[in-house]
Amino acid sequence: MFVSERMSKDLVTAGPDMTIFEAKKLMTERDIRHLPVVDAAGKLLGIVTDRDIRDAMPSTLVKKVDYDLTLAKITNYPIGDIMTRNPLTIYAYYTIQDSLLMMQKKKVGALPVIDQEGYLKGILSTSDLLKAFVNIMNIDEPGCLLCIIVKEKQGQMKKIVDIITEEKISLGSVLVARVWDKEKRAIFPYLLTNNVINVKKKLLDAGFELIDPMKWYLDQLPQKLKK
Amino acid sequence: MKRTGLVYDERYLLHVTGGYHPESPARLEAIYKRLEESGLLAQLTRIEVAKANQRWIEAVHTIRYIMKFDEACISGINEFEHPDNAICRDTYEIAFLAVGGVLKAIDAVMKGEVDNAFCAIRPPGHHAEVDKPMGFCYFNNVAIGARYLQKEYGIERVGIIDFDVHHGNGTQHIFDRDSTVLYYSIHEHPSFAYPGTGREFEMGIGEGDGYTINSPVLPGRGDDEYKRLMMQDLVPAFKKFNPEFILLSAGFDAHESDMMSGTNLSTGGYDFISEVIVNLANRCTGGRVVSVLEGGYNLDVLPLLVENHIKFLADLK
Repeated sequence: MFVSERMSKDLVTAGPDMTIFEAKKLMTERDIRHLPVVDAAGKLLGIVTDRDIRDAMPSTLVKKVDYDLTLAKITNYPIGDIMTRNPLTIYAYYTIQDSLLMMQKKKVGALPVIDQEGYLKGILSTSDLLKAFVNIMNIDEPGCLLCIIVKEKQGQMKKIVDIITEEKISLGSVLVARVWDKEKRAIFPYLLTNNVINVKKKLLDAGFELIDPMKWYLDQLPQKLKK
Repeated sequence: MKRTGLVYDERYLLHVTGGYHPESPARLEAIYKRLEESGLLAQLTRIEVAKANQRWIEAVHTIRYIMKFDEACISGINEFEHPDNAICRDTYEIAFLAVGGVLKAIDAVMKGEVDNAFCAIRPPGHHAEVDKPMGFCYFNNVAIGARYLQKEYGIERVGIIDFDVHHGNGTQHIFDRDSTVLYYSIHEHPSFAYPGTGREFEMGIGEGDGYTINSPVLPGRGDDEYKRLMMQDLVPAFKKFNPEFILLSAGFDAHESDMMSGTNLSTGGYDFISEVIVNLANRCTGGRVVSVLEGGYNLDVLPLLVENHIKFLADLK
């Protein structure tokens, strides 16, 4: 999974001379929270977020007359004055995993994607990542979730996948999680079928422990709270 | 006692899904055998089945889809668009008979020949979309029934209650912009169970906003949760909507012994569902209900659950 497949390429950008007023209007109209600022050639100069704009606004607590006066002064300033210069950027060949970790660590809501020369190629926002996550988990396709408890030893996943394959069931995704027992793992295959009876029987016959996925969650809960 | 009609036809067994498929002819055989042996059958009014006129199926499905289904069956392949949807050469004909069974049951109720009816039919229908088979379903029997009630009998408000353990995505999507059909479904939570729709926030679209109600049940919750959700979500909404006719998508796969699901509903929990629905019907529709079989795959309990359900309809329980 690469950034190139997931970034938004339908870009809304602004030049550094755009006024705060225009930028605010543009972001509301296009329903975006991050506005990349580029020069005439398309090189990335900075980024303006809806928070930068809000920070620049006068306080709503001041008197209406003063508010309007200040607002009139402020909104004609160029966004070049409030943008974050040299923002955190990524390249299109970065992986989604890189971006996830970066956004989590640096606490940013979007990452502009540039090429080696610094030209803006796209932007990757949390909503793009959410879309990617839904897609990776395949949860927008009909299916059901199993929870299989396995011993932590080699070859368990193969056995499970073999059984699912034998049943000619397509696998939407597989998640692996820790369980209360350190020697064991919980495997959550998302099966793209309504027909789970036979595959459940085969898994049981093969000696796997099937539990209700909710039970896993509830058993995890107290341990999470303890921490 | 009420006069309760029964739709059943041996030809429903001709939709053969292969020995390994849970939606098997043995389901109906087991139900019929139980009704016969328990003596309940003798107390029911048998409703003769006829093939539905295609124009009623076209009231819900596209002609293109109907033709594609016909071609798939004729060609002799054994699945239709997804391995879940097992078919044989006869499936197309039998699907017409299944719809026809529901329409005949509606006729019998509307003409006053019976008070209500249960349709022991297959293939089931509530997953079938306008132009797509899904989850063992080809034609959406109940949705077609609702359109038939409106167009043939001028019924304005139809209430559909779907208690199959899976969400009836097809039925919901067919009526999600429609304020004349109130669709209520209680089912295992879509994050765990097929088909992954039926979340609480799916409440209808546009004019139909508010006319779709979903009660997802987390796995393992069972009877108490069903009772709580039905009293909280179903009953007030139906009283307010005040339907003139109620159709049921009756699935018995939420039972604790059915491996298709994890909702853990008991036999008594199913009795509660039937009782609430019959009470609602007595209050809103003058008792007019047509109940249509959807899922239910444990052959050891399915017949008992159906028998109990029919007993509530017939006022014998």
